[in-house]
Amino acid sequence: MPAWRSLNNFDWILFLAILATCSVGLAVIYSATTGTPSAGAFHRQMTYAFYGIGLLFLALTLVFGRVVNASKSWLGAGGVQFQPSEIAKAATILMLAAYMGRERVRGLGVVHFAAICLIIGLPVLLIMRQPDLGTAVTFAPLFAGVVFIGGIRVRTLLILGLIATLALPMAWGHLKPYQKERVKTFLEPTRDPKGSGYQLIQSLIAVGSGGLLGKGFLAGTQGQLQFLPEQHTDFVFAVLAEERGFIGAMLALGLYFVIIYRCIATARAARDRLGVFLAIGVVCVFAGQALLNIGVVVGLLPTTGVPLPLMSYGGSSLASTLLGMGLVLNVWMRRLVN
Amino acid sequence: MGFEQDYKGLQDYYEARRLNTRIHVIQVLFGAVLVLYLFAFWYLQIVKVDYYRRLSDNNRLRRVTIKPLRGVITDAEHRVLANNRVAFNVRLDREKVTDMKTFFPRLAGILEMPESTLRDRIARYRGRPVFEPVVLKEDVDLAEAAYIESRRLELRGLSVEVESRRNYLYGPLAAHALGYVGEVSEDQIKTDPSGEYELGEIVGKDGVERQYDEDLKGDKGWKQVVVNSLGREIQEIEAGRKPDPGRALRLSLDLDLQRALEAAYADEAGSAVFLDPASGAILAIISRPAYDPNVFAHRFSQDIWGGLVNDPRRPLQNRVSMSKFAPGSVFKIVMSIAALEDGIATPARGDHCTGTWRFGEKVYQCWAVRKGGHGYLTMREAIIQSCNIYFYHLGNDMGIDRISKWAHRFGFGEPTGVDLPHEESGTVPDPDWKRRTVLRDPIWHPGETISVSIGQGALEVTPIQMAMFAAAIGNGGTLYRPHLLLSREVREGIEEDERQDHVIRRVELRPRTLEVIRDAMWGVVNEDGTGGRAKIAGRDICAKTGTAQVFRASRDIDADKLPKDKRDHAWFVGFAPKDNPRIAWAVFVQNGGHGGTTAAPIARAVLERFFQKLDSRQGVQQLASVAVPQ
Repeated sequence: MPAWRSLNNFDWILFLAILATCSVGLAVIYSATTGTPSAGAFHRQMTYAFYGIGLLFLALTLVFGRVVNASKSWLGAGGVQFQPSEIAKAATILMLAAYMGRERVRGLGVVHFAAICLIIGLPVLLIMRQPDLGTAVTFAPLFAGVVFIGGIRVRTLLILGLIATLALPMAWGHLKPYQKERVKTFLEPTRDPKGSGYQLIQSLIAVGSGGLLGKGFLAGTQGQLQFLPEQHTDFVFAVLAEERGFIGAMLALGLYFVIIYRCIATARAARDRLGVFLAIGVVCVFAGQALLNIGVVVGLLPTTGVPLPLMSYGGSSLASTLLGMGLVLNVWMRRLVN
Repeated sequence: MGFEQDYKGLQDYYEARRLNTRIHVIQVLFGAVLVLYLFAFWYLQIVKVDYYRRLSDNNRLRRVTIKPLRGVITDAEHRVLANNRVAFNVRLDREKVTDMKTFFPRLAGILEMPESTLRDRIARYRGRPVFEPVVLKEDVDLAEAAYIESRRLELRGLSVEVESRRNYLYGPLAAHALGYVGEVSEDQIKTDPSGEYELGEIVGKDGVERQYDEDLKGDKGWKQVVVNSLGREIQEIEAGRKPDPGRALRLSLDLDLQRALEAAYADEAGSAVFLDPASGAILAIISRPAYDPNVFAHRFSQDIWGGLVNDPRRPLQNRVSMSKFAPGSVFKIVMSIAALEDGIATPARGDHCTGTWRFGEKVYQCWAVRKGGHGYLTMREAIIQSCNIYFYHLGNDMGIDRISKWAHRFGFGEPTGVDLPHEESGTVPDPDWKRRTVLRDPIWHPGETISVSIGQGALEVTPIQMAMFAAAIGNGGTLYRPHLLLSREVREGIEEDERQDHVIRRVELRPRTLEVIRDAMWGVVNEDGTGGRAKIAGRDICAKTGTAQVFRASRDIDADKLPKDKRDHAWFVGFAPKDNPRIAWAVFVQNGGHGGTTAAPIARAVLERFFQKLDSRQGVQQLASVAVPQ
């Protein structure tokens, strides 16, 4: 495989231009969201409006959406296509932060808990109607994070855990056959190596065969010969691990660690509760997605179809991630402002 | 600052601390998961790297089989009977066709095929990878192949594939002996112990093609290629191994005799085999009705195949070794030998034929009943005239056990071991056999012995057994296993003779017995006997006719006016010349009536050709010996 020749032909100008555009985009988003955490009445109304628009788009998607892979998750007009679920995700983070940061909430009462459930539940229900389980799942870390930071009592947590455990067999009955198949396959991948276990096995082969140093850029046979399914979205990290090996995977994992760590540092340093919940909301969604995605790639989690933030192909996902990062940057910048 | 404010401040402080703690918990949690993943990568990429490397290689590398050329089959004089030829198939690469709608009518025009057929053939590939080409038309001639090639730019996706195909040069000639080839069945793949068969592989299905498939098929070659997840070849990476072509087989058949035999049979059904009495080598072999084995080489031959399988005349059946019939009067030779050898009768034994014989409650007839019987006969005359009454009496005196013993000695009731698949054993009945197999009437009746004495009843033989028997009489009692294979090519240009000893057993016969039998058989052809139509002056042909009853005609019906399928089967079995015989045979004509009428002329046609060749060969030898004085 002529890896180096390909690398020489690589369009560095285009690459740098894309990098620059992303940075500019990040800066614009940053600037556009500046002041949001100041919690003025106007901004709160903006947040409500944003949340409302997010829900509206989700509802529209159910009616006018384009069907991709058996789920109606894309909305488009003309040449512009986007996933409203990504917008809704950002809107939900803002909405939750606005609600939880609204006043000095001591502990997490029943009313607050119900409000959180409602704010998250509305978009999740709409997304599950598409049905897009992968995106819906990414709301779970957000929910868990906000409830936990909000100060849920250990006793309440235990009761909720118990209810969840009891509800699990019932929920199993409501899962779609293909979803059950995914879980079964995760528990026993060799059960159906040509069917639903295929992705998992191919992913493990891709990662494992990468070794310490990897097969080289563009030389990963699992990815290049299309043994890996969904290689530019769900299994992009497997391609990286195959071509760049353990060292490459560790570098990438390290970058994600830095991002998560800085977001959490931001939450800790935030000037007000609004800032805390914003940063926590963003980091929970971001880290949740990243860890879910990579967990699938190494075979520790069942296939969910969650894209890897910042790496997977997909404009809507990238936009919503950058939006979130912009918010966190704002929180960090304003940590000293009083 | 008031107390309330202080309290609130303290509360804020604790709340801020709790918040901080919770954030810390989340941080640790995420950190822990990342560390877990680190170990997961370490385990997969460092610990198990060899295992996954191997799986990855298995994924992308495929062994592709290269088919060898099948061995050529020739006759004894190296004249090719079956070889391989280049065939052109028209293929469609579905990937390259952008607009199927406008493509089809043009395609139909160029290939001169109905659109519906084309659609059917493409539809069959639905669900197969799109890069796999579809064969639209098989085996087009060179002109059409060139025409299609010339229009490739116009019809993108259409191409001509070159393929090796089995070719039987003379079509139906010796079809049952040569057999045919076809794609290996799923059953064969499963049951083959070597496990070498692959789907789509061409193997011998019948005849020599099947019997010697191991020699003919050759050794497959292979190359290693890189494929993508769809199985499409991306590149070839290793040289692999070249295929070894199959061995050429030289059969004992003589194309000249074979052609004479095929011509002599005309439209008759039946079978015949001519062999060398000194070795059992088969010189000519036929089974009719025949088929053209070339048709089986086609992919789209379902209807032809179905037609052959369902044909009531059963053209696929090899009547030489797979069909059994009553031997009729030919069996009188076995009877005579048994009587002479076991001392039941001397050649001088006389008997009187009045045309009928009452035995028990039944009246047995001689075929000469209408002219009032044969009168007084000795054994020799009884054989020549094929008198039934003489042998009824002889059989009755001898008993079934003796008859059965001698029939078995001459190889009846067991396969000869001819190198053709699915040989039939035939039946030599006796009381023991009847007890084992005929459960509704397990008792042997004396009348059955009478029927067996003239080659009827439950007695059944195959034509190949009959030919082996005739050869044994000719050569003095040795049973040679009839065989087709003379030699096989070991390496290119080097033949290795079959060193196998084909002797099954030697039947001890007194010279006097042989002399009497041979003389009587000579009389059958040369002394106004039943086989007079086979007579060739100076060739001393010895034979016995036989008629196997199909329909028990009463005295009043003229056998020749019966419908064809009710007529008797005709036998003509013998050897020639009388001294030092060079050829022995069994000719069987299904529903041929009397053996002497239909079967004898067929034998005569082949024998004429045989002696003509023998003379010219001897002439050349004489010339050679004259030209090189000692």
